Amino acid sequence: MTSIVLDRVTVDFPIYNARGRSLKTELLRRTVGGYIDSQEDSHVSIMALRDISLTLNKGDRLGLVGRNGAGKSTLLRVLSGVYEPSIGSVTVEGAVSALTDMMMGMDPEATGFENIILRSVFLGISVDQAKRSVPEIEEFSELGNFMHLPMRTYSSGMKLRLAFAVTTAVTPEILIMDEIIGAGDSAFLAKAEARLNRIIGDSHILVIASHDEFMMRRFCNKAALMQEGRLIKLGTVDEVLAAYHGG
Amino acid sequence: MTQTDDADPIAEDRPLPLPPNFARHLALAAADFRRGSHDWRAWVLLGMNDIRQRYRRSRLGQFWITLSMAVTIASLAMVYAYLFHTSFQKYLPFLAVGMIAWGAISAIVTEACTVFTGAEIYLRQVPIAKTVFVHRMLVRNLVMLAHNAVILPPLFYFLDVPVTWALPLALVGVAFVIINGIWVGLLFGTLCARFRDMPQMIGSIMQIIYYLSPIMWMPEQLYDRLPWLVDYNPVSCILALIREPLLGRMPRLWDVEVVVAMTIVGYLIAIPFFARFRARIAYWL
Repeated sequence: MTSIVLDRVTVDFPIYNARGRSLKTELLRRTVGGYIDSQEDSHVSIMALRDISLTLNKGDRLGLVGRNGAGKSTLLRVLSGVYEPSIGSVTVEGAVSALTDMMMGMDPEATGFENIILRSVFLGISVDQAKRSVPEIEEFSELGNFMHLPMRTYSSGMKLRLAFAVTTAVTPEILIMDEIIGAGDSAFLAKAEARLNRIIGDSHILVIASHDEFMMRRFCNKAALMQEGRLIKLGTVDEVLAAYHGG
Repeated sequence: MTQTDDADPIAEDRPLPLPPNFARHLALAAADFRRGSHDWRAWVLLGMNDIRQRYRRSRLGQFWITLSMAVTIASLAMVYAYLFHTSFQKYLPFLAVGMIAWGAISAIVTEACTVFTGAEIYLRQVPIAKTVFVHRMLVRNLVMLAHNAVILPPLFYFLDVPVTWALPLALVGVAFVIINGIWVGLLFGTLCARFRDMPQMIGSIMQIIYYLSPIMWMPEQLYDRLPWLVDYNPVSCILALIREPLLGRMPRLWDVEVVVAMTIVGYLIAIPFFARFRARIAYWL
């Protein structure tokens, strides 16, 4: 059963300036007693998420709202397993796919075909599965003979089409998105949107951070409002959006 | 205004739970290692790709690795065989094996520093096991080593280096380089992600070790005066494990003991360290 359980998750970020990162500062901090207080300010940490508890089950489509810096992206990264919380626990059942940076893992010197394999491995897809999806990706991305050329020969639109096609080739159980992704020229856009709708529909759990309220109402059945790293309201999309604008 | 501090609708007063304890850290690190081994395709692909990317579109391709190593060895041998009053025939195989083995060791140690910082784009985007990037570095350097090793058979043939039954033992030495490469990668990779001047420091230390280890000079040349430089230098011992069998001699038991000790101590330091800070690496990038 696909599910996500966050229990009192807290994430704090160390902010290092050049001094904080150097070994010398660290050693001095440990050895020179009197120095500690004045040096301590080079060791700022930001609490990006504070004490968040949240349970999501199959069928949940959660939209995250909140101002910039409220912790939405950090929460998405915790959900996808990139950040392990400093305090609290995250339990995720099901394969997670985060559609954040679509080009991640692609190599301009490798051919389109090689890039499909490369990118798939990073998305947690097996090589066999990736090879099976190659014809479909080839057709969808409309790359034709370019498939066997290095990616650096592609136009930016072609690159994006390939990245999008690979990224969305396999439907994950848990789909995480930072803003809705779109790709390419208008003809491709319609096709891409249909495909995106399909994988959003087929995924068991969707978590999306977006400022696009129209999209939010369309895709989500739940929403959460974040503020200063806290989850301050969880409810229906309308309730939460109302609170967001009201508060 | 003073009492109505309405910014926090959810109560702040309950204390935060405790951070995970060490046993939990250790279990998570073990899980990372298992996942990393399971994702072998990722690190093989990444490691091979590193090599391909470096030499793509060059005519000789990755054989530049072999060629540049061959040229280095030949020029050094010419000068130093003369300086040391040794016969070229005796010195060249010694230097060739030493340089090739050292090339692998020093590349593993210096590149260990960037295993995580160099994988920032991945580590900040996907929940991929951290150990994948340590293995990737080792794959890359093993491929380099294999390319350099190509120099040896013709060299040995033309210089009549005796081939004995000790030869396969060189593989044990290479295995020790890989086994030690893992803890070096975990330890240095994590340290260098946190302290950004560590890579420079390790780079210069490796430069010093190069001169202090019997690579250009032969152990017997210094053994009377500075025996500890040969006996208590783990790099010298691990080099001996590779070099002696290739040159037709059995390595000393002492060398094996030192290398085993280094391996054990290395893991005893690296495992707790990596376990403790593994989860923080993504935050440091």
